[in-house]
Amino acid sequence: MARAFKRKGELFVAKLDEAERAVICGLLDQTRLLLAPTESLADTGDAFADLVASLGPDFGNSFTGEEHEHRRADPDPERDPALDRLLPDAHRGDPAIAAEFRRLTEQDLRRRKSDNLARASAVLRAAESERVALAKADAEALLVALTDTRLLLAERLGIQTESDVEAVEGIAARQPDHPLAYAVAVYDFLTWLQDSLAGALMGRRLFG
Amino acid sequence: MQERQSETADLAEPATPWITLVWNDPVNLMSYVTYVFQSYFNYPRAKAEKLMMDVHTLGKAVVSNGSREEMERDAMAMQGYGLWATFERDD
Repeated sequence: MARAFKRKGELFVAKLDEAERAVICGLLDQTRLLLAPTESLADTGDAFADLVASLGPDFGNSFTGEEHEHRRADPDPERDPALDRLLPDAHRGDPAIAAEFRRLTEQDLRRRKSDNLARASAVLRAAESERVALAKADAEALLVALTDTRLLLAERLGIQTESDVEAVEGIAARQPDHPLAYAVAVYDFLTWLQDSLAGALMGRRLFG
Repeated sequence: MQERQSETADLAEPATPWITLVWNDPVNLMSYVTYVFQSYFNYPRAKAEKLMMDVHTLGKAVVSNGSREEMERDAMAMQGYGLWATFERDD
């Protein structure tokens, strides 16, 4: 049973068993593969790691609908929409400014994000027992990596708004055998873990 | 006299016509957004929490202002953290 992150001296410590670490690392790796364009998103041979791949870009929209505000003014039909969720237009109203910003920053951001995801996955894989103890810099890498990973999962689950969250949580609660239910459980697990890590890094509770 | 002085000071402020905005995304946790505003902008906890609540309840917040170049840098940093950030001229 997992235990949330807590600060212990200079370290950020959680309890995650081997299966939990494997799920997280698999998803961190899938997110890295999406962001690093030269590698393929294909089957990695790991059932957990292939979760995101198996969902596919349109999986969640069938449950939450496709009527959403686009994060990009001129989406490229050949490009995975999750990339535009992770790297949205940085200017609203002027496509030329948005395109110029993208040209100047996207490759750099993709490299930074994929390096960070690789680091987070490596520190989790380095854990020799269920006690995961991270130095501050590694904890921060994992914190940011979990955001990118949850953005990818959310995009696959069709989660764009707060009401989409309620819609998929409702389906998962009513129909535990629904294909959505496992992915929602994983998403909730990552949310819980990330929230505990953010709290531990900040040192005290919100509005405390 | 005091007021006159501050009016003059306001007029002498350099123009900072660009802003960086962060938009609400249900993925981004309240704790995480507060953490990012504190660690990247070095904002005090109370200011970081106020901006986070604006994002959460109003749908967006202006998180910084300055030159266009500075706002492009901030928007890029926010996107690096996975926040939904844009920059624009403050009209």
